[in-house]
Amino acid sequence: MATRGRSGFCRSLPELELLLLAILVLLNGTVLSLESASSSEIHTGEGNNTSKKPFPVIGIVYDEVSIPFEISLWVLLASLMKLGFHLIPRLSNVVPESCLLISVGLLVGGILKLARDEVPPVLSDRIFFLCLLPPIILDAGYFLPIRPFVENIGTILMFAVVGTLWNAFFVGGLIYGVCQLAQDTYSEINLGNIGILPCLLFGSIISAVDPVAVLAVFEEIHINELLHILVFGESLLNDAVTVVLYHLFEEFMESGSVSAVDAILGLVSFLIVALGGVLVGAFYGILAAFTSRFTSHTRVIEPLFVFLYSYMAYLSAEVFHLSGIMSLIACGAVMRPYVEANISHKSHTTIKYFLKMWSSVSETLIFIFLGVATVDGEHHWDWIFITATLILCLVARVIGVVGLTFVINNFRIVKLTTKDQFIIAYGGLRGAIAFSLGFLLHTDHKKIFLTAIITVIFFTVFVQGMTIKPLVELLAVKKKHEAKRSINEEIHTRFLDHLLTGIEDICGHYGHHHWKNKLNRFNKKYVKKILIAGDRCKEPQLIAFYHKLEMKHAIRMVESGGGSKLNSSFPSTVSMQNIQPKIQSPPSARPAERALPQLTKGREEEIRQILRTNLQRTRQRLQSYNRHTLVVDPDEEGLDDLILKKRRMMELDWKIKEMTNYLTVPHAQGSPTMSRTRMASGRNTDFIPPQQKKGNKQSADSQAYVKPGAKGVPSIQIDLASPQSPDSVRLLDEVGQDQGLTMSLPSSSSRAYKTGGKDDDRDQQKLLRCLSDPGPSADEDEDEPIPT
Amino acid sequence: SVSAAHLLRLHQRFQLLDKDSSGSLRSEDLEAALSENPIGVRIVGAFFQLGQEMVDFPSFVRILAHFRPTEKNRTGDGVQPDPGTQMKCPSSVAFQLYDRDRDGKISRTELLQVLREMLGLQVTEEQLQSIAERAIQEANLDRDDTICFDEFRKSLEKVNINHKLSVRFLE
Repeated sequence: MATRGRSGFCRSLPELELLLLAILVLLNGTVLSLESASSSEIHTGEGNNTSKKPFPVIGIVYDEVSIPFEISLWVLLASLMKLGFHLIPRLSNVVPESCLLISVGLLVGGILKLARDEVPPVLSDRIFFLCLLPPIILDAGYFLPIRPFVENIGTILMFAVVGTLWNAFFVGGLIYGVCQLAQDTYSEINLGNIGILPCLLFGSIISAVDPVAVLAVFEEIHINELLHILVFGESLLNDAVTVVLYHLFEEFMESGSVSAVDAILGLVSFLIVALGGVLVGAFYGILAAFTSRFTSHTRVIEPLFVFLYSYMAYLSAEVFHLSGIMSLIACGAVMRPYVEANISHKSHTTIKYFLKMWSSVSETLIFIFLGVATVDGEHHWDWIFITATLILCLVARVIGVVGLTFVINNFRIVKLTTKDQFIIAYGGLRGAIAFSLGFLLHTDHKKIFLTAIITVIFFTVFVQGMTIKPLVELLAVKKKHEAKRSINEEIHTRFLDHLLTGIEDICGHYGHHHWKNKLNRFNKKYVKKILIAGDRCKEPQLIAFYHKLEMKHAIRMVESGGGSKLNSSFPSTVSMQNIQPKIQSPPSARPAERALPQLTKGREEEIRQILRTNLQRTRQRLQSYNRHTLVVDPDEEGLDDLILKKRRMMELDWKIKEMTNYLTVPHAQGSPTMSRTRMASGRNTDFIPPQQKKGNKQSADSQAYVKPGAKGVPSIQIDLASPQSPDSVRLLDEVGQDQGLTMSLPSSSSRAYKTGGKDDDRDQQKLLRCLSDPGPSADEDEDEPIPT
Repeated sequence: SVSAAHLLRLHQRFQLLDKDSSGSLRSEDLEAALSENPIGVRIVGAFFQLGQEMVDFPSFVRILAHFRPTEKNRTGDGVQPDPGTQMKCPSSVAFQLYDRDRDGKISRTELLQVLREMLGLQVTEEQLQSIAERAIQEANLDRDDTICFDEFRKSLEKVNINHKLSVRFLE
């Protein structure tokens, strides 16, 4: 990635990349266009000469591989596009990815059309609904933040069901009215011919907020969790409504008449579709959880079960015309806690990355195909219809959101403000689902409907998508908190849960907490025993969380050059019993009295071994559902950068602290360790920006704080990085030494630092490689408790 | 304050809990209702603040009224109200539940007690110690090995505590 120091060189790089990409795109297009032409020729050519001919050393048999070849080319194109966009930071800040991808699709479509005068029907509904949509939805469902979702489920359902219904009828009804008013019997397509039912069908297609588009846009703007889950949850749950309305109106159009009974049947059908979908999903989810209980000997295919069961859930729901999306969400959400307790760390990583990868590629492909399909396809542009549709959609959305919020706020504790409402209304993007449903239509007016749908999609994605980010900034909407959960939060949240359950019990009120408590109890008592293998079912979540934190802490300390004392009660984790700190101080001792154990080489190896094996068992809970910036696992990627930066951070912090502490002696012993502990435990000290761990992009900020050492000022060099001897371990020996403080003139010490640093880097790399690549045997002992 | 209809319900509930119909509740009555709750004893202790043996209906309501959803909940900010009012903000109620000896700070022992209650027999003493240790390390800004109210509030900024501490029943 380009850093500031190398910007000159890198400025030419994006252009080069763009050039390469453009060439590849052209190649793509030409190959695609040539394929059908050439394949038939060669084929017939081969067939004619049955007489003796020389052995064909080289031949072209494209026909057999044409389909996979084309598919791969498309996927390759999509991925290269993605690469390209991220190389141009300026562009990707202004324009959301979805817009760029649609534009690319338009471009490719244009090329194909010029080359062949015909575009392959890539966005056929089968490909879309069976291949492209499921990964995205599964990704969303598996990593759905359950707590905020369930807390706001009432609001989400209101928006999804009532909001979509309102939108559908409003748009459908009024567009019919507009058509009647604007009918013109002499024009090519008489608007007045469009009956009420087709209009309602059209309304139902266009009214649904699209999860793909919402995800693509909202992920880049990082708004607060509440709004994100509201809009996103709505987009997921309105699938049931859309499915029902669509089939309903289609049936009515076939039969030609509507009666009251049909309306009631429609309502019943809605309940069946929604609940049935959820039940099917939950059923498959439980199956998956149960299966994962027995996979301890075949770890390699664990991810496969997750994917297969989820896909089966989707397909089964589709078979019965139930809501496939809801089924997929239910399956992912239900199976996740149990599966994660059962599978190995590597499988977990595999699942995470595969899901992210597939959903990313799917999303890219969807947008590109949307562009391509726009170029193809017969359009009929009717100004009145289209503008009316656009305006009606916007108006309907605004009225719907405002009206519903007015009602909902009476039932909510945290009310939705006007700002929130605006964002919710503005975030109602339409996307490819609407387009595919439109594609499936069989009416006479398909052309005009499709054109209108595409226009609305383009408008929402381009205009709303591009402007929502500046608007969020302008309105100063609350953004997402990036910091990690601390153990305090965890403890206090549980405490409060118990407290509120208690209060509710006292009041005799069977509220929210009461049922949650009952569910948790049921879960613990019965379900976990069935679905989770071994002892893990008994481990309380708090302990697991704590283990995870301690593990991360340990890793960070060992990596970043010697950190602070080991926590004296470190041996609390089972396998950590091996490390006995030489001086075990009672918990009430002052921090200064705790001393670091003196570690020999043997101990060092032990520590490495233990950390290696324990790394397998910790999970990084995904903090945010964000495909674009996956949270950096400390044991996975980018450690080198991270360590260097952390080291610099700590040094700087130290320098400042020591400057002040130098004059006031007393806590000199305690403060460096405390500050180091604090830093290592990830607290928000002044110098560590909260986003430091969030991938490489934002770590550029941390560079700003690194100041070159002042010349001539006798500086206190705290050499975290250079231990007493280059080949001993990073843990500093504090007993009898002053934390490696050396008061010296700048020149000599900086030299010392540099040489120490080089050795350190090498050792660091070695340690890293040890940590990040545990041997295969480490897989055998997987029976430590895993967090649920 | 609490509306009339709710008062009626609370009164009915009070009478239900009051097994010996004495017009006031003893701690055993409340504890019976909270038998399954890990921190039940603590909650009951909050009702009997001044070492009383019994709690009558007005004080019952007054204590429960702390958990009303109020307008302040909109901002989600645990602002401490001025000492003139009797109403405490929800986070201070929670703090007091931790801090049973009322010295204004949560010491390590108090935290250990809470953890022990919540986690019960499922964990070893050592693990409890380390968790308490770590919690104090994280929250502790003034290096005095205890958690004072401000630190408590700070560590809960992300948790929308007022939202959490509202029982809609008591509106």
